[in-house]
Parts: sequence; structure tokens; C-alpha cells
Amino acid sequence: MDAALKRRLEARFGERLTAPIAQRHDETEIRIGPGDVPDVVRTLHDDAELGFILLADLAGVDTGTHMQVVYHLWSETTPDWLRVVADGLSRDDPRCPSVTFLWQGAEWMEREAYDMFGITFEGNRDLRRIYMPPDYQAFPLRKDFFLPDDAARSAGAGVRHIEQTHTPRNARPDRVLRKVGA
Amino acid sequence: MTAAPPHGHAHRDAPSDDPRVRLDEAAGVFEPVPPYPPRTERESEFYTLGDGEMFINMGPQHPSTHGVLRIVLKLDGEQVVDLDPVLGYLHRGVEKLCENADYHHTIAYLDPLEYISSLFCEWPGVMAFEKLLDVEVPRRAEYIRVLSTELNRILSHSMFIGWMALDLGGLTPILYGLIERDEIAEMLASLTGQRLLFNYLRIGGVNGDLNHDFMSRLGDWMSRATTQIEANLTLLNENEIFVRRMRGLGRLDKETAFRMAVTGPNIRASGVALDFRRGHPYSVFPELDFDIPTREEGDCLARYLVRVDEIKQSLRIIDQCLHQMPDGPIMAKLPRLLRPRPGRAYAAVEGPRGQYAAYVISDGTDQPFRMRIHDPSFVHLQSVGVLMPGHLIADAMAVMASLDPIMGGVDK
Repeated sequence: MDAALKRRLEARFGERLTAPIAQRHDETEIRIGPGDVPDVVRTLHDDAELGFILLADLAGVDTGTHMQVVYHLWSETTPDWLRVVADGLSRDDPRCPSVTFLWQGAEWMEREAYDMFGITFEGNRDLRRIYMPPDYQAFPLRKDFFLPDDAARSAGAGVRHIEQTHTPRNARPDRVLRKVGA
Repeated sequence: MTAAPPHGHAHRDAPSDDPRVRLDEAAGVFEPVPPYPPRTERESEFYTLGDGEMFINMGPQHPSTHGVLRIVLKLDGEQVVDLDPVLGYLHRGVEKLCENADYHHTIAYLDPLEYISSLFCEWPGVMAFEKLLDVEVPRRAEYIRVLSTELNRILSHSMFIGWMALDLGGLTPILYGLIERDEIAEMLASLTGQRLLFNYLRIGGVNGDLNHDFMSRLGDWMSRATTQIEANLTLLNENEIFVRRMRGLGRLDKETAFRMAVTGPNIRASGVALDFRRGHPYSVFPELDFDIPTREEGDCLARYLVRVDEIKQSLRIIDQCLHQMPDGPIMAKLPRLLRPRPGRAYAAVEGPRGQYAAYVISDGTDQPFRMRIHDPSFVHLQSVGVLMPGHLIADAMAVMASLDPIMGGVDK
């Protein structure tokens, strides 16, 4: 846990943070609204005291109530991973600005998040499916997508075809659609 | 199989009025243009041919794509103008499977992500779970992890060197590379029980302690490893055709490397000493003495030579592990059923290709709520789009081989 990093982040982004900065082990987490992503990421990258030059990972998350886009950044200036959570994207039409203007390498990671969660990254020049076939309709990593497999212990297991996206009649959504407050 | 004709962006007229009858299809010609209108700006730009340009479809079963990858190349003569990699032939949905398995079971899904460096695929997942559970791994287990993964790194790099030469048309080095790989695979098999997918790391430790068979194989191999590897390398390092062809090919500069989120040996070949064993220390690496080899040139030859130097550093680390290996337990005390408190954890390790990472969200049940797997091959493969254009087809393959992507990891 890097207390100095926490102070620096609070000084830079004080009013933009939607939740207090969380620190655990070697991770520091900040939460922002999706609209602030380009500005915040630009500052994190360009500011000499922060210097988060490497995009370590970009992930989509479906919490069951809303969508998130999670960036992990690495910098020489701190022993911590910085986790930037763009929070509160709606599940019906999740939209988030692209970070490809800064890291071109995010293009495929955003395509993956689009493919798996249906998150639209505004500004990504090539936002199409990357793993699933182009005519595929569902978003497999969403929490309302069930696995029909025996390995899945979801209540909807075994009752539906893998490519159906609606909830089966006998499914118990309270058990299947796990919601996480994290 | 009848493909619908390409729509408005078609680059040539259909030979017949009837869309179902295509002369080139009857002749067995595969049309790489997708049978639907372009969905993005980039797709319509790519699938529109300029003057004198043509498409070549490479893969999915092309030998130099290192797995099932399809690349649509746009060519001007023999020169690559642009390319569009098509992924997903090996997609297994590992992340979804992990979210429906319990924490112990997940390790078996992480393992086959990559069949060359399985231990590195397991490690970040296991490490992230340990962070969620606040488990301290016994020191002996950490040393065994470092020892076995460094062996795996040498295995991976020996295969890389063989493949690299194979993609340039040299057959011999892969045979020597396979000899090296086989000795290490047998060694790890006596430690883990498997030759390919080791499934060895456990949450809180490792599956088995060092045994006599492993130690005698390792001692035997270590006594001749340095000379053996040096001898193999002279095949390529002193081969003028190889060296002159690799030099100056596919140059990746520092800024582009950071822009493309490149990690591992590929960024170290561009003059950036970024190694997470030092840059973000984990496990017992702070106690071990080793160097981070870097090169300034950023071309294919530099990427090859960085890996060659890394093999030597890995041998140093293995040697120190054997000398400093403490006694003690190899597993932390943990319950059978793991229910971590709700929270998030991110863990990354430095693998033979770059940063292998896992991001796990726990909701307090015995299954991970979200399991994100970051694989370096996926990230590196997209930088071929920056590196290949301008090269000849044969050189473009060398550029791809020098980045060392493994399709199992790319497609997850």
C-alpha cells in the first residue's frame, strides 16, 4: 500500500472520484464515472509524478446491476498496481470512451470487452466481435448468460441452448444472477 | 458450401448473375472478403482494394501461424500493405468456465491456456486467490515455484528459438530445441506428473515436494545445460543468413512498444528494462540475484538475442534456488472449501512472453464472481498490425515469429 500515491491521486482527482480510494496489498483502486475516463487516464499517463505509462490490463465487469470497465496501470513511481474502475455503466446500453487515443494496444482488449459484455467503446475505430462469430447475438460473459453444461452449477443449467439469451422459465434469478457490491 | 457474394465493398464483379454460382469457388478459390457489409470504419477501409492490390488468406492451418490463426493479408506484389488477423478458432471461454468452477477447480482451466508455459498461466490466478484469502505461502513453496517456472521459461525459449529458425526456413534448430524441451518436460513430469499441462501450483503452495527422480534429472541436466545450450545457439548465432535476415527487420521503438502495451522480452529488446520480477517484485525474486538483459535495436534479431540471454539468467536463478532452498512445508493450511471475503485482487507474473495476469472479483461464495485472464500473446499479436506492413510476406512471418505468440493464449 502506497500512502503517497493515495495523497497524490486525491490531490489530482479529488472531486472526480465517485468513491473513497481503496488500498489493499499492492493495489490502489480509484473509481470514476465513465465520462471522466479520457481526462483521468491522460493525466495519469502524462503527469511526471504519476507516470502510469503501461496499460497492464483492460477488463469488462458485469456486477449484476451495472457494468464496469476496469483498467490496471503500471508505473515506475509506485510499488502498487493502480486500478481505475469506470463505474456505473447501464446494463441496457453500456457506453464508455475508448482509451485507444493513448494506448493503441487497448484496441483488441476493448474489442474483447465488447464481444463478451456488449460495452460500446466510443472512439475505437474497429469495434467488432473478436472471438465469437460475426453473426453471434449474445454477450457470453454477462451474468444473465447461462452455461448449459454440467460443470455449471447455475439454476438454469441443462435447460437451455447455449446461445439463448433470455432467462429460462424455471430459472431462479435470485440464485443465478449473483450481484456483487464490490 | 456457398458463400454469399460480397456486398457494396466488393473489389471485383461476380462472374455470374446468379449469386450462388461463382466460378472462382468452383475452382476452389477461397474468398477472404467477409460475406456481409463492413461494420466499422476500419473494416471497410481494409476490405477496399487500392490499385494493384490483392488479398491473400493465410491460415487458419498455415504452419507459421503457430496455431489456428487466420490472417487476411492485403498485398501489393509481394509486399504486405495491411493485414487483418481473424481470431477465435481456439476460443474456449475459459473466463466463463472459471466463473462457474470453484477456486481449486479453476487452476485446471487456467493450465491449458498455453501449452508451452502452463505454469505461468496458473501462477497469476493462484496468486490472485491467495491475495483474496490473505494466505501467506510457505517459503519453500515459493522457491519451488520459482525453480519450476524458470525451468518452464527455458523450455519455452528453447522452443521459440527452434520455431524462429523454422519460420525462416532452417529445419535443424527445432530438432535441438525439442531435445532441450524434452529433457525439461521429462524433468517437470517427474515433479508434477504431467509433461505438458502441469497443473502443479495450488492455492497456498504447490502440489508435491521435490523428489529424488526430479533432483537427479535436474542435476544431470544442469551439469551440461550451459555447454549444450551454447552449442545449440552457435547454429544460429554464427549463421550469417539467419543474422543478416533478422537484423533491422520489424523494428519496434520504445514509444510504439508502450503504445501497443507490449511487455516481456519484446519490450526489453526495444531498450526498456521492464521486468515485473524487478519492476513489481513478487514471490522470492527480491532475494535472488539476476540481470535483466536488454537490447537497444528493437528488431527481430534483438528479440531473439534477449531470449537467448534470458536462458542464461534463468540458469543462474535455478542454481541459486537449489542453494537457498529452505526446509519446511509446501502448503499453507487452508480449508477444503474456500470462501474469500468479497473483494478484488490483481496479480501479474513475468512469463517467457510478457505479463501474465489475473484479475479476480470475489462475492463471498466458493466460485469467483469474475475471473479476467490477461495473456501477453493476445496483446503482442495485435502489434503485428504495426510491424508487418512494408515487409515481404516471408519476412512478415519472421516478424510474427519473433513476437512469439501462442494461439492458445490469444484465443482463451
